[in-house]
Amino acid sequence: MSGTPAVTLQIDGQGLQVAAGTTVLRAAEQMGIVIPRYCYHPAFEPEGSCRMCLVEIEGLPKLDLACSTVVREGMKVWTSTPKVLQARKDVLEFFLADHPLDCPICDKAGECWLQNYYDQHGRYASRFLEFKEKKGKKVPIGKKLILDRERCILCTRCVRFLRRVTKTGELGVFERGVKAEIGIDGGADIRNNYSGNLVDICPVGAITDGDFRFKTRVWFLKNGRSVCPRCSRGCNIVIQSVRGYPLPGRQRKIYRFLPAENPEVNGFWICDFGRYGYHDIEDNRATAIAVNRGGPAAGRGADWDGILKGLAAELGAMAGAGAMSRVAVVLNSFLTNEELAACRKIFVEALGIQKIFFADPKPGEGDGSLLTADRAPNGRGAAALGYTARVPDLEGLAGSTDLLIIFGPHLMDHSAADAAAAALGGVKKKYLFTAHVSGLDSAVDVVLPTSLPAEKRGSFTNVDGIKQFFECAVAPLRGSLPESEILARLAAGLGVTLG
Amino acid sequence: MSFSLSAEGAKRVEALVRRYPKMQAALIPVLHLVQREKGFISPEAEEWVAATLGIPALQVREVLSFYTLLHREPVGRYVIQVCRNISCYIAGSEDILNHLEKKLGVRAGETTADGKYTLITVECLGNCDHAPCLMVNDDDYGPVSRDAVDGILMGLT
Amino acid sequence: MTDAKATLIPPGENSFRLGAYLGRGGYEAARTTILTKKPQDVLEEVKKANLRGRGGAGFPAGSKWAFVPQADDRPKYLCVNADEGEPGTFKDRAIMARDPHLLLEGIILACYAVGIRTAFIYIRGEYEAIARRLEEAIEEARQKGFLGPDIFGSAFALDVLVHRGAGSYICGEETALLESLEGKRGWPRLKPPFPASVGLFRGPTVINNVETIANLPLIFRYGADWFVGRGLPRDGGTRLFGVSGAVKKPGLYELPVGTPLRKIIYDWAGGPAEGQAIKAVVPGGLSAPFLTPDEIDVPMDYESLAHIKSMLGSAGIIVIGDRTPIIDILKIVARFYAHESCGQCTPCRIGTAWISKIADRMGAGGGVPGDIDSIRHLAEGMKGRTLCPMGDAAAFPVLSIVDKFGQELAEMISR
Repeated sequence: MSGTPAVTLQIDGQGLQVAAGTTVLRAAEQMGIVIPRYCYHPAFEPEGSCRMCLVEIEGLPKLDLACSTVVREGMKVWTSTPKVLQARKDVLEFFLADHPLDCPICDKAGECWLQNYYDQHGRYASRFLEFKEKKGKKVPIGKKLILDRERCILCTRCVRFLRRVTKTGELGVFERGVKAEIGIDGGADIRNNYSGNLVDICPVGAITDGDFRFKTRVWFLKNGRSVCPRCSRGCNIVIQSVRGYPLPGRQRKIYRFLPAENPEVNGFWICDFGRYGYHDIEDNRATAIAVNRGGPAAGRGADWDGILKGLAAELGAMAGAGAMSRVAVVLNSFLTNEELAACRKIFVEALGIQKIFFADPKPGEGDGSLLTADRAPNGRGAAALGYTARVPDLEGLAGSTDLLIIFGPHLMDHSAADAAAAALGGVKKKYLFTAHVSGLDSAVDVVLPTSLPAEKRGSFTNVDGIKQFFECAVAPLRGSLPESEILARLAAGLGVTLG
Repeated sequence: MSFSLSAEGAKRVEALVRRYPKMQAALIPVLHLVQREKGFISPEAEEWVAATLGIPALQVREVLSFYTLLHREPVGRYVIQVCRNISCYIAGSEDILNHLEKKLGVRAGETTADGKYTLITVECLGNCDHAPCLMVNDDDYGPVSRDAVDGILMGLT
Repeated sequence: MTDAKATLIPPGENSFRLGAYLGRGGYEAARTTILTKKPQDVLEEVKKANLRGRGGAGFPAGSKWAFVPQADDRPKYLCVNADEGEPGTFKDRAIMARDPHLLLEGIILACYAVGIRTAFIYIRGEYEAIARRLEEAIEEARQKGFLGPDIFGSAFALDVLVHRGAGSYICGEETALLESLEGKRGWPRLKPPFPASVGLFRGPTVINNVETIANLPLIFRYGADWFVGRGLPRDGGTRLFGVSGAVKKPGLYELPVGTPLRKIIYDWAGGPAEGQAIKAVVPGGLSAPFLTPDEIDVPMDYESLAHIKSMLGSAGIIVIGDRTPIIDILKIVARFYAHESCGQCTPCRIGTAWISKIADRMGAGGGVPGDIDSIRHLAEGMKGRTLCPMGDAAAFPVLSIVDKFGQELAEMISR
């Protein structure tokens, strides 16, 4: 900020200093004054078409737009004079005149900017006696997105997003006047990897997500911040879920991911691959401990305590017999930095295991924007901790290993289930810690259900080396444990101090 | 691409495109040209114009839907525009409109079955001292009476 | 007008031909100016002449030109606004059809003053025949070296291109005109920046009405003082007053700025049509607040009309007789703005359509007492709140109708 000339002005009687070039709207935000707006979005240049952000500037005869007016030295801005409040009411009245009375069936209810602003700035009695404009109400525009043209307030955020951010331009504005409408007009529909952001930036329920449609009401949703685990970008997300009412009992359900703004990592957006990855938290979960053969845990009771104590004992015995070369561990880059550090202490330093491998999802294609080719969140964190990520050769492993500990189901990304089963047939004892069901389950002796990043705390280091800490965003499934807890108990059983 | 203009039309498009520092600026003049030759602007024409000017077809369609003189559907050989704004209204434009609707057997906004006439109502044509006025394609007529209208129609082959 | 040379609309069928124009002394002013005067001198002379824009806003032309930064590498443009969409206005059509070379000579002078090498005439698509005539005139002028690479043998080069619109009143608004010329929808731009600094293809641009430019050769032939003397000190020259509606002699009348409206209607346009009395008068194109019969003694200049809360605008005078129910006028006014609203900003997009629906409902017999207040409320809601002046343009006439003719509307509702 040093070197940028500063401008001193007054907003609502209070003085403040901002960088030259700041708009009135942004200056007000710095003071905690939020001027209502629809078409303005910080990702774009000001548009000036919704007319909600009109404010009074001393010395000017007409109200002026806060979003596009740049502050001047000595400027005096008033954001709540009767003239301004009347203008807001009147502009809202225009917006709502042709707006359909869809609230009872509209997903946006509860987070709708028309509702919110009417509540704060409207509260007038409607005087609209005419027939409302009839337009298309369930227009598919690509992927699962549905456009409702009657609800649309023509803020054009969606059009501008697709022109300026994804540069794919699938949407346009057609016709003119009150007949103006958004659409693809028979052209290519929206297929890009950022379509989900359109639902977020639409201030009303004009663009809704078929993935979310009619499933819940937003006022039931609880927010939990986390980091998306589906690639190495580490986009900041908000996980929205319900636990308990209105679901029966203590049932937990995840409804969607939303982007959380982070200028250094993901800006305002998340990609669809990450966004719709929320299904991972619920689909195909390993929910209970499974013991496949009358093997090592059979006599001890198939519970966490019993199994982990048994595993610790086995490791201890093999260490004592100098047989660590017969032990292999497969880790993955979904483990947090803290968990990977604990693995290092236990497996590498304390036990001296050399056969440490990584099984991550196969790389995909980066999309040139947020989505990276690396489809695991903490590859860089693993590298920083000294790990060399290498996929194990299962057949080679089979011949030389008596005890195999696998974290995560991603071995299946690199060999077919039966090939894995055949190869692993030669390993005496196999433990699998996994959050998801996979073909690996039947190839191992014990399957133990773990938590996902959304259900635990820790940190990931993203592709650019930025370390991001996250807290537990949703309650873990009953019966599963986070790897941090698993490793802590193993360490205790082995007499290793984790510190 | 299946769409093409006449050799003369293509030459004029090239000349038009050269006039502007940005090719998109030639869009409306080129659309006019296409419409003069083909009568209207078909989806194939949209694609051709888009490709010729190096702009997305969606933007061509956005523009087409905004301007009332550009037609995306076929129109009659003669497009009759009847002005209904203040001066023309005062001079009796509604009567002229009714007369034309009866005579042609269509409502305003429609094209006759034989494809000869399209009748549309428009806002001020800028010919107010000759109210009530109308246009047939590029030609101005006004002030028109019912008889004058009949005479105009008779003269259109 | 006594001097056939000093008029914007010369008589005679072939007045538009180059030969006829040269016979009237055409292109002499441009030749002299380019060969002997400096661009700054031209600008000063225009300021001295108090030539105000004749498109509607009345902004002094010289001041507008002075906003263009001279020390700037970007190509500069002149856009001649020949969109003429304001109902009641038909003057630019006459100038272009009868005196195209006057316009071209004016363009030469304007471009010389500001340092512009490319001028576009943005002409409404309906004026196709006139566009062709302009193109022929441009070709004639090029052949003679009055346009092109070295005009009158000087170093000054200028190209004039005719660009057609396609049916949109809003494209007469200067920034919508720029958008349309660039091949886009006619959605006006946010100001600032103003066209003088960021305009056509992002270069400095001057936009002037046809009649404004057409006055330039006369100013340079006869002098700024002469021009001011023809009109008023603060508002020089003549105006082409277009009179239409319920009058005996509708037509175009070139008269000094400041001529009283009553004189124009009665002495020149023959007074109201047979058997009718005047009910209302539109003084400056439809977007100007309507006047009542007792307001028509007003002198027709910008200040005088502003003083009675109306505007000179495009000087399009429409006389409405007492045979026309005011509800019909309201319906047409409301329908016009709803049809022409570009849809970009909320108050105009929704407000114009809403008012039109109310007016139609009233006209069909479904009016309720609250409607007049609603219309007033909606028009006030648009005023001063829109992205471009069209919001005001839509609000002013409607407000004047409900304020000055509310009685007739109320009586209609209660019937």
